[in-house]
Amino acid sequence: MKKFTNLLVKEIRELINKQLIISLLFTFFLFYFIGNVARTEAKKAEAGRSIGVLDLDRSPISRGLVENLRLIRFRVEEFETRDKEEALAKTQEKKLPFLLVIPPGLGEGVENLKTREIETYSFLRSLSLTEARYADIFKVVLEATNNYLSNEVLKKKIPDTPVDNLKKPIRSRDFVIVRDQRAEASASAIAGFVYSQSIFVPIILAMILIYSSQMVISAIAMEKQNKTLETLLTVPISRSSIVAAKMLAAGIVGLLSAFIYMVAFRWYMKGLTGDLSQAAGSITSVIKQLGLSLTAGGSAILGVSLFLAILCALALATILGVLAEDYRTAQSLIMPLVFLVMIPYLLSIFTDLKSLSLPAKILIYAIPFSHSFMAVQNIVLHNYQAIAMGIIYLLAVFIILVVAAARIFSTDRVLTMKLRWRRKAVVL
Amino acid sequence: MGVILQVEELKKYYGRFEALKGISFEVNEGEIFGLIGPNGAGKTTTLRIIATLLTLSSGSVKLLGYDLKQNPEKFRENISYLPEEAGAYRNLSGWDYLRFMARFYDQTNGRTNEFVERAARIAGLGDRLKDKVGTYSKGMVRKLLLGRALMTKPTLAILDEPTSGLDVINSLEVREIIKSYAREGLSVLLSSHNMLEVEFLSDRVALIDQGRILAIGTPRELKERYDAPNLEVVFRRAVQ
Repeated sequence: MKKFTNLLVKEIRELINKQLIISLLFTFFLFYFIGNVARTEAKKAEAGRSIGVLDLDRSPISRGLVENLRLIRFRVEEFETRDKEEALAKTQEKKLPFLLVIPPGLGEGVENLKTREIETYSFLRSLSLTEARYADIFKVVLEATNNYLSNEVLKKKIPDTPVDNLKKPIRSRDFVIVRDQRAEASASAIAGFVYSQSIFVPIILAMILIYSSQMVISAIAMEKQNKTLETLLTVPISRSSIVAAKMLAAGIVGLLSAFIYMVAFRWYMKGLTGDLSQAAGSITSVIKQLGLSLTAGGSAILGVSLFLAILCALALATILGVLAEDYRTAQSLIMPLVFLVMIPYLLSIFTDLKSLSLPAKILIYAIPFSHSFMAVQNIVLHNYQAIAMGIIYLLAVFIILVVAAARIFSTDRVLTMKLRWRRKAVVL
Repeated sequence: MGVILQVEELKKYYGRFEALKGISFEVNEGEIFGLIGPNGAGKTTTLRIIATLLTLSSGSVKLLGYDLKQNPEKFRENISYLPEEAGAYRNLSGWDYLRFMARFYDQTNGRTNEFVERAARIAGLGDRLKDKVGTYSKGMVRKLLLGRALMTKPTLAILDEPTSGLDVINSLEVREIIKSYAREGLSVLLSSHNMLEVEFLSDRVALIDQGRILAIGTPRELKERYDAPNLEVVFRRAVQ
């Protein structure tokens, strides 16, 4: 054990070098900075943004429309002029992003059930999404106003009939059923919430798998490049301990790196999307009612699945590392592993892996990491058979890979195995 | 002087290529035994097999009576191997590197410092041991590695081209170190294509070419047998 610890400490010291620390700090502060900027911008937007309004009608209805804008935190700057071009020039001069022009006769037209047009002018000064949002936000306001106005007109014209019955003669109550549990909610809202709560799992997993694997491959390649591997293989410590120390060290440093990246990434996402816990509201009780929340037991099963995926990646990386001749070739040898991680990762985000065609499904299910990417969904939906099969498959693949890695390290292959591309003879 | 290493009919195949064609020799206690031959003769393959890096295809290798195939771990406990193109961990200081290597051999918990101090004396790098290995010259790295190889006073030190890539001064220093440790009873198996170096260092020599041993004896015996002034001429005549 003392020898193993000695080797493990050396491996960790080799991996935690200046380059890694600088790269981690840089990424952390970059995400932190972007997240902070995004949060500040979001707060500014919440505090209200100024827009220009030219009300040429001045009727109660047009005033109501302007008031509605104020209610949703727009700072309305009204122009006194009657000239649209002058209002546009002033909007430009004051660097306002949006001008709303309410034409004369809007109120009268609405009263007489005649459609009237209002005009909106968006000043696109950058291609950021927030710049383009004013017209969309205004359309929501207009929709609400239209709804309000049509309700008022209908009340006057058909006083004894409820307006809702006229406008929506058919209404739906949405229920979601998960196994034997039923709750009144929208399926898309439930799926969206669960997705938003578990999105970090595949991201963390993909990051850990790639970082740890890269570390193992690089560690072995560096031993070869620096000509230290031969000496290490002749010291009195078992070859399986050497393999285990390299894998464990890479796993520890990979986990640490991924944790730091995820803290930074979470900070960044919080800046972009806001705090999910604040937005969760009543949906969490529906989630609990449907049994879709991740319990302690579920988290433990998820942990086992993720841990096995990491072990598989490390064992595969060990084998790939033996093929590397130096650090440069190690960087290209990581690519097959990156593909094996990224294919199920991206597919699990954009599609339901179970709905794929049979050949695609066989291909995806053969990739061990797919089972860990699907684990959250399977645990939440209580698909215990799929989880068990996934864990058994991961365990089997890990045993095969680790035995193969240990055998390679116990034979000549650790020194003689190289990736060579056969070249065709060229006849001149 | 007892026999500590016995190599009998050792063969090694790389695919269909027969790198060693059944070589046999013995190394005695406190002896410096040299393998000499041109590049590709099979010297490094022989040393790598004894150092447990490569598996043998047939034949047998025994160290202190332990069979290599059955007890590779006994070999690793009793040998120390210095490869021809060895390096040390560039991010570690010389001290840290020696301490890291010494801990593998410290069975009784407390000899690490003794090993490291001996290695430091052999390497003779003084305060530079505090610096990272990445800042060392090739000669300094070689001396550090030689210190590492001899620090535990192994039963058998296997040195592959010990002065490879070193200048004249460093080569002389390294040869002196090997000679002085052999005087203390250390057995050394070394290889070199520098036949004059082997003649200076070795008590006995094996001439090896194309995976076969052509002759074994003391440098004086071989020179007399082939009526040659030095081992280079001995080798040329043995090959002819």
